Amino acid sequence: MIRFSPDAPLRFGLLLAALVTVSCASAPEHPYADMETAYQERVVIQQGDGITVSAAVPSAEETKQLFKLNLYKYGIQPVWLNIRNERNDRVTFLPVGLDPQYYSPLAAANVRLRADRAVAPRSLLNQFFIDQSIELSLMPGDEVKGFIFTELDEGTKAFNVDVAWEGDFKTFTFFIPVPGLAIDHYEVDWENIYPPEEVVELGDEKLIEKLESFACCVTNKSGSDTGDPLNLVIIGEPLDVYVAFIRAGWDETEIVTKASAWKTMRSFFSGGEYRYSPVSSLYVFERPQDVAFQKARDNIHERNHLRLWMTPARYQGVPVWIGQISRDIGVRFTRKTITTHKIDPDVDETREYLLEDLAYSQALFRLGYVKGVGPVSPDSPRGNLTGDPWFTDGYRLVLWVTSEPTPISDVTALPWRNPYID
Amino acid sequence: MNRGGLTSRLSVYALIPVFALLSACATNTYKYDDSPQIAVEQRAVTQQKGSFTVSTSVPSREESEALFGIPLHKRGIQAVWLEIHNNSSLRARFAPYSLDPEYFPPYEVAYMHRKGYSTESHAAMERYLDALSIPRNIPPGMTVSGYVFTHSDPGTKSFNVDIHYTSGEARNENFTFDVAVPGFVPDHAQIDFKALYEPDEIRELDIDSFRAAFEADLVCCTRNHDGTQEGRPINVVFVAKGTDLLRAFLRAGWTETASEKDDKLLLSIDYYFERPPDTVFRKKRDRGTERNEMTLWLAPIKVNGIPVWIAQVKHAIGRLLDVGEYFFGVRLDPQADEGRNYMLQDMWYGQSLLGFAWSATGKAVPQDSPQLDFNGNPWYSDGHISVLWISGEPVSLKAARGYKWDSPVIAEADSE
Repeated sequence: MIRFSPDAPLRFGLLLAALVTVSCASAPEHPYADMETAYQERVVIQQGDGITVSAAVPSAEETKQLFKLNLYKYGIQPVWLNIRNERNDRVTFLPVGLDPQYYSPLAAANVRLRADRAVAPRSLLNQFFIDQSIELSLMPGDEVKGFIFTELDEGTKAFNVDVAWEGDFKTFTFFIPVPGLAIDHYEVDWENIYPPEEVVELGDEKLIEKLESFACCVTNKSGSDTGDPLNLVIIGEPLDVYVAFIRAGWDETEIVTKASAWKTMRSFFSGGEYRYSPVSSLYVFERPQDVAFQKARDNIHERNHLRLWMTPARYQGVPVWIGQISRDIGVRFTRKTITTHKIDPDVDETREYLLEDLAYSQALFRLGYVKGVGPVSPDSPRGNLTGDPWFTDGYRLVLWVTSEPTPISDVTALPWRNPYID
Repeated sequence: MNRGGLTSRLSVYALIPVFALLSACATNTYKYDDSPQIAVEQRAVTQQKGSFTVSTSVPSREESEALFGIPLHKRGIQAVWLEIHNNSSLRARFAPYSLDPEYFPPYEVAYMHRKGYSTESHAAMERYLDALSIPRNIPPGMTVSGYVFTHSDPGTKSFNVDIHYTSGEARNENFTFDVAVPGFVPDHAQIDFKALYEPDEIRELDIDSFRAAFEADLVCCTRNHDGTQEGRPINVVFVAKGTDLLRAFLRAGWTETASEKDDKLLLSIDYYFERPPDTVFRKKRDRGTERNEMTLWLAPIKVNGIPVWIAQVKHAIGRLLDVGEYFFGVRLDPQADEGRNYMLQDMWYGQSLLGFAWSATGKAVPQDSPQLDFNGNPWYSDGHISVLWISGEPVSLKAARGYKWDSPVIAEADSE
């Protein structure tokens, strides 16, 4: 065992505080930090334990203006931070907590550099980017500001700011919408989807019965044909649903616009990433989904899609949502829509994936199963609206989501139905 | 080192017409050979915790191709075999997500490999892969077994297996495995670390004499292969048993490199103790625009009986990694301290950091007059090295402790 000398009982924070950035070498001027730019008006402030963190995320356009470089194009997003230390001890900001894959200032500055291009060694040194980066170490009373260069997230930027000091640390969690995309749920007036007289309050005794009475499946616009099974129920306020899925790494969805159509087309042919691609409308309650989330894997053809509709039901005052999830496993050609995504026919596997995804992301606090569409066997599968087969044990998964991080060990499974025993 | 990647890519292109022919016919019959399963299970490693016993093993590429009848590795998929026994009286659930949050379900694997197969053969493949997958549900007293399809790792497969009780109170058991995969020999497995130094060459030090040795003897920088030119600074020193260090790196997502090193690489690589690195680890960004590389040398020093490793963490920037880099050389972040700062946070967030110190014995090079390494890449540094004590077992983030050596900020505070 390693023994630590008793006369040096320093805790990690003190020496982490010794992390030095280059910017320590000379006090940087941050010429642009004082500039009046639009992102500065979107600053979000959080406080706790004597630390104040202000954060803002410049859009693609603002970033281009600030850095004279289209960083978004290269998948890099600057996050502006201002950290104030009103504690009596030294604190350290830890960029790895914000983004384990953050870019160093010179990596961001040289992102266009190709290895085959001859470069004068000194031209790798970009003083402007170095000056813009944020200092990591703050003495008592210090205030630092500057940028940290992260992996790009359009839609909503979700990140932690971890600040450590001797013996402890504090995490500030931010969810900051970034201008530039036409996100579907921005336009929805959640309070007025249903007139007050249509809203139904459910107690515990009526809950299971009500959840089992929802429609089995999505339909097409006219309601003449049924498609994928509605195998999810989510219970949570709109903010909880939003934070839960963003925390679990899901992306929001753009509505169809000229710009989004172009981006979808481009990524379809390149197989590249357009994480916010509009999704087709499926219908429940005679309307398309209220909100769609998606989680991309390696390319546009491999992602999970999730659509949610707010129902008129409330459980203890909290909205109940019905939903459908499918996993795209590739592309295929169809007569009706020319191309479509092929879904994993084992829709229960996708449903169970979502349960694990939300639980491991600490976005879930309770779950249960109710009956849904009823069993459909792999040998005689049913088809969705584009003709893809699916089969299921017939159950519907009920998930209570939360915007407060909840450890997986605190998740309660309700003893309702059980797909594995019943 | 990337030559293998290039030629294998070329051979893939050469096969395109063959694949085109095959998919045009679509008459392949789905065939597999389950005979390697015995060998896979025989070399399984087993752990027991609470009421659960978990055995696991990872098939080699060849075994996997035979077992599943399809070349999974070409699509970046690696199958992991598991057997879980639930000795409790409660129902439990295995979470494939704990092995790999982006695991592949069996029907997706089958769809990815559908080309060239008839509808019937494809259906047979779907049924077979589904049947070989491990179920999530583990009834009381029962044993379940099967495969999870994960993303490929180039070296030792490091993963968690989480099992949650689904009845009674919310509880779970977590297992961590580091499983050697046949067919890949990491560079460190080729070195007999015990034979690197004669027993009388190794200095046994305590913490104080270790610090003194640092100040007296540490050579700041690497050199080129013939020792004529200076390279880049040593920026991290690890104090750890080799096995603990390996676990910590794997847990933090660093990957091993293979043992072959070609001649071109040996000429451009950094030397320390007059030899090339004993082992090289890499950590790559998903989108392939950046990478950290760590080269390590075992030092002839032990601190309280624990070996000391000299390391250089470099941060590669710019585009055209891999093949481009092989031909044109790599661009390194001139901020040489960046790799060091990253490493300290990486080990801390990876819950591997027992303690740390700073030593001001490195070479300070100011930003406005950077030094060129022997490959012509500029660097500058504040001249501090971080010394990291590493644990093989997870350490709470609040438990990491430090030594008051030469922290630049502390020095600054003292002078105030």
